[in-house]
Amino acid sequence: MSEFAVEMRGIVKRFPGVVANNDIDFDLKQGEIHGLLGENGAGKTVLMSILYGLYFPDEGQILIDGTAYSHYRPAQAIRLGIGMVHQHFMLVPRLTVAENIMLGQEPAKSGLFLDRETAIRKIEAFSEQYGLPIDPRARVEQLPVSEQQRIEIIKALYRGANTLILDEPTAVLTEQNVEHLAAAMRKLKEEGESTILITHKLREAIGMCDRITVLRKGTVVGTVNAQETSERELAEMMVGRDVVFTIRRSQAKGAPSPTLRVRDVDAKDDRGLPALKKVSLDLRKHEILGIAGVQGNGQAELAEALTGLRPIQSGTIALHDRRLAGKTARDFITAGIAHIPADRHLRGLVMDFSLRENAILGQHRSKPFSPHRFWQSPQAITGFTRDIIEAFGVRTPSAATLARNLSGGNQQRLIIGRELSKDPAVIIASQPTRGLDVGGIEYVHEQLLKMRDRGAAVLLISMDLDEILMVSDRIAVMYDGQIVAIKKPDETGRRELGELMLSGSSPRLQEQENQEA
Amino acid sequence: MAIGPMFKRSVVLKEMGITLLSIALAFAIGTIIIWIAGFSVSAVFSNLWKGAFGGKLAIGQTLAKSTPIILTSLSFLIAFRCGLFNIGAEGQMYIGAMAAAVAGAYLRLPIVLHVLVCLTAGGLAGAFWGWIPGYLKAKRGVNEFVSTMMLSYVAIGFTDYLVAPRGPLHDDKYWANQTIRIAPSAVLPRILRPTQVSMALIVALFFVLLVWYYLYRTPAGYELRSVGLSPTVADYGGIRIKRKYILALSLAGLLAGLAGSGEVLGTHLRFIGRFSPGYGWDGIAGGLIARAHPIGAIFAALLMGALRAGGMQVQRSGAAPGDIAAVLQGLVIFFIIAPTLIRTLIRRRRR
Amino acid sequence: MDILKDIFTLHLVLSTLRLATPIALIALGETFSERVGIIHVGVEGTAVLGGLVSALVAYFTGNAWLALIAAPLAGGLAGGLHAVWCIRFRANHVVSGIGINILVAGLALFITSSVWGWRGTSTYAPTLNIWYISCAALVIIIASQIFIFRTKWGLRLRVVGEKPEAADTAGINVHRTRYIYTILNGVLCGLAGAFFFNSVGRFTSGMVGGRGFIGIAAMVIGNYSPVGALGAALLFGFIDALQMRLQSFIPSQFSIMLPYLLTVLVLAFFIRRANVPAALGKHYIKQ
Repeated sequence: MSEFAVEMRGIVKRFPGVVANNDIDFDLKQGEIHGLLGENGAGKTVLMSILYGLYFPDEGQILIDGTAYSHYRPAQAIRLGIGMVHQHFMLVPRLTVAENIMLGQEPAKSGLFLDRETAIRKIEAFSEQYGLPIDPRARVEQLPVSEQQRIEIIKALYRGANTLILDEPTAVLTEQNVEHLAAAMRKLKEEGESTILITHKLREAIGMCDRITVLRKGTVVGTVNAQETSERELAEMMVGRDVVFTIRRSQAKGAPSPTLRVRDVDAKDDRGLPALKKVSLDLRKHEILGIAGVQGNGQAELAEALTGLRPIQSGTIALHDRRLAGKTARDFITAGIAHIPADRHLRGLVMDFSLRENAILGQHRSKPFSPHRFWQSPQAITGFTRDIIEAFGVRTPSAATLARNLSGGNQQRLIIGRELSKDPAVIIASQPTRGLDVGGIEYVHEQLLKMRDRGAAVLLISMDLDEILMVSDRIAVMYDGQIVAIKKPDETGRRELGELMLSGSSPRLQEQENQEA
Repeated sequence: MAIGPMFKRSVVLKEMGITLLSIALAFAIGTIIIWIAGFSVSAVFSNLWKGAFGGKLAIGQTLAKSTPIILTSLSFLIAFRCGLFNIGAEGQMYIGAMAAAVAGAYLRLPIVLHVLVCLTAGGLAGAFWGWIPGYLKAKRGVNEFVSTMMLSYVAIGFTDYLVAPRGPLHDDKYWANQTIRIAPSAVLPRILRPTQVSMALIVALFFVLLVWYYLYRTPAGYELRSVGLSPTVADYGGIRIKRKYILALSLAGLLAGLAGSGEVLGTHLRFIGRFSPGYGWDGIAGGLIARAHPIGAIFAALLMGALRAGGMQVQRSGAAPGDIAAVLQGLVIFFIIAPTLIRTLIRRRRR
Repeated sequence: MDILKDIFTLHLVLSTLRLATPIALIALGETFSERVGIIHVGVEGTAVLGGLVSALVAYFTGNAWLALIAAPLAGGLAGGLHAVWCIRFRANHVVSGIGINILVAGLALFITSSVWGWRGTSTYAPTLNIWYISCAALVIIIASQIFIFRTKWGLRLRVVGEKPEAADTAGINVHRTRYIYTILNGVLCGLAGAFFFNSVGRFTSGMVGGRGFIGIAAMVIGNYSPVGALGAALLFGFIDALQMRLQSFIPSQFSIMLPYLLTVLVLAFFIRRANVPAALGKHYIKQ
């Protein structure tokens, strides 16, 4: 057995217009947990996809357990003991846990039929051995994200992985579940597994790993021992400059009367199950209300309900005195509610429309762009688009370029530009920084704060607790379709919010309730 | 400078280049088929050309055949722009033709007005036949692809019944399945005598411009196109998707209905059972060859019309069965619908 | 009552089974290809091609069995063409299917005129008893039900249509799987075409007459399962059989359009269960 589970030497991977990996050296010792740290777009996932056989490198050499391999596909990577837990889970929601795990290595009865029972027994044995509780008979779509992640890890182990690649595993987890994951990783280490942890969170890298390799813009900045480094050092390696960890912001003015009043709103999710249960909240002028919560607790449905995209079963939504419940999305837009959607492709931009056409989406029937029902004004549209491009720094060859041809960050700038230039009374921002690099994130935060200072009421939905704590004036925690608590950021912390996000109540509250009872 | 798809020169040139190469490739394969089948390649192509463009009569024939195809192509592409497949233009055309024939034969109106009323009746009847699958799509989630097709068969059967002997609209003077002749005031005049080209061609070209304007210069057309490219984003933009589905298929029906009306008012001067040699299906081909662009529909329809006219000449000459034209049409489509095929071939050559 | 007795006879049951056969085969084929994510509306044209090739082979060789083998082969070829267009050249699935329908329609007219001298019609040629095909279809459908839901290949094909990237990361070749089942769809449609030929005794260009599309409707109503597709096909076969019995009572134009009208109505009133494969109609391009 080689000292190294994996050695990658001089890896180069080019995509049209970018060098994703530029001469990267990386090694993983047997039985270690190795952090791969870098910003979005630094090349972490590409490097690991190469290791897993999803891409062929343009140059370089890969040694697995001391033997060199080239041009292999995932099937062979699996045989070589490499397992990858992708950031976006590779699970089929409609199938059972067991079916998902055994895929590709299905035990068979009489050589023909699926042997589900054998698979289930094998899965239960892994579950026991590694302390990763899962129910092999359940359907994946019914399970919470944290359990889906355990399924992914067991899937890799089931396929015989002794080297695990975890791609941003904590992005979808609460504080408490992150601790569970860390415990599971230690257990895996005890059992002799080697692990690569891809992350962009400094604290976790230091807390969970033995060594950390930092990537920046496709190259290796350096490899350090986790115990001998600090968050500040890693941050500098990652970004290449001192990072401002807190943003300066003025105190919220928080007007007394709410701009948007939401009372007792019930709504269903796409499967027809209750997703919002009697949700009430106020959005006030000059204030950012952050919504914290584990993904899938009704945040997406809340954003859709507040923008008219999802019908509500009961309750009221009123902007000042204007009742909006039951109205169409267009009524919400004309009432002055802007929406920065979570998914650029699904909601934000028509990718095969030009910037011009995208810039007027939602306002396409309003006066300057359509002086008449049967007449659009190309000049007005072009002028408006140029204004957005200039004011929001959208980098594009021209206003007639297709949205598809912009980078993710520039697409997001276009959306933000479009939504904010409506001069809205209310802004519903749903995960507005997802997939952006540090600079992009800072930019979005600045814009939201600027709008707040100009008097808009902002609702910020984010899975990133740090972002919520940093930007919000008040924080509402969502759990199981309900607002379970509203806190001030300086009167709460990650720990308490995490408890609330996970169970709907904090230990302190429970104690109080116990005492009262 | 106004930037509309009509004027994006580099894009248009590239698309046109790909289209022309696809057509060339299709004709090359067609040549091989003719050769394998044992016919004279030169005789087939010379007759094809002669029938389509060889003289005033031939050109008239081509234009006459192209006229309804322009409209059925528009019918296909306006639904396509909304993300829907209207493959029922044939049936919508029959329903429209029947309505125009009835209005033409049984109403008594002054000269210009009568034609307009007949066109309106035909268009609206076709629109109704398109509205049904649109409504079913929006309200019941019925796949418009299957329903437009099925309703096409229903329309053909229904109009057949109306004009069959013992049917309520049958012209008892003749044995053939047809209605009585329309009033002279309802006739769309011929414009290129002695050929069959009528004012219907002008109507069709007028609607090309109208559809272009609608799609690219009105907020309603903008909405229709955004639904076609991304329904979820359109929803986010406050656009009522289901209404657009109903509207798009109704408009598709309207255009197909006008195609049928043009045939009745300009060519046959009565409704004849099963009068169409497949103009509705040609519209699918035309819409695809035009790459769903209204201006392109003119050229695509000309190609289809030329193939039909040329095919007839090939048949008459005995060089080969005239249906070689249908094979060529099928091949052209087949090469045009694979957007990366031609590009791949070009790239191979460069290496 | 007497009229009803005239209509509902054993003959009606038998013709239901007979008429349901090609619809069931096409619906089964479509179930396979849509389960891996490939929409194929060219099934209509593929069935026409199957009938045409049957007639050609039976006419030239005089061997009905050879004709029965040739039709699925031709269908498979057409399925392969569709697969190449959808997978390799990333054509829109529906558009490519339309292309097949139009191309085959043209070829059918051209070939019949060239070979037999009549536009769209062949001469009579040796045939087989169609009940062979019906019985084979039944066996194939039940075997397919087991194959899709009880074997590892079935699990894999379902995953390819639901989440191709999950299949890819499990070492399953997404493209190859899609090719295989799209070709299989073509084979089954070709067999349906052979059925049409053997039931009429010659080829006519209108003999499929929209039953390919009715097969797609049967697949939708059968909710992506072979046995469900069979059930829906029997319903449509019954409607078709009834239509033929009714021809003696109502004008033929009405009865002929009845199956098409009822197909639309059945689709409109059918309550949808959601088994639509999540990656249906999407091109799989590795990031």
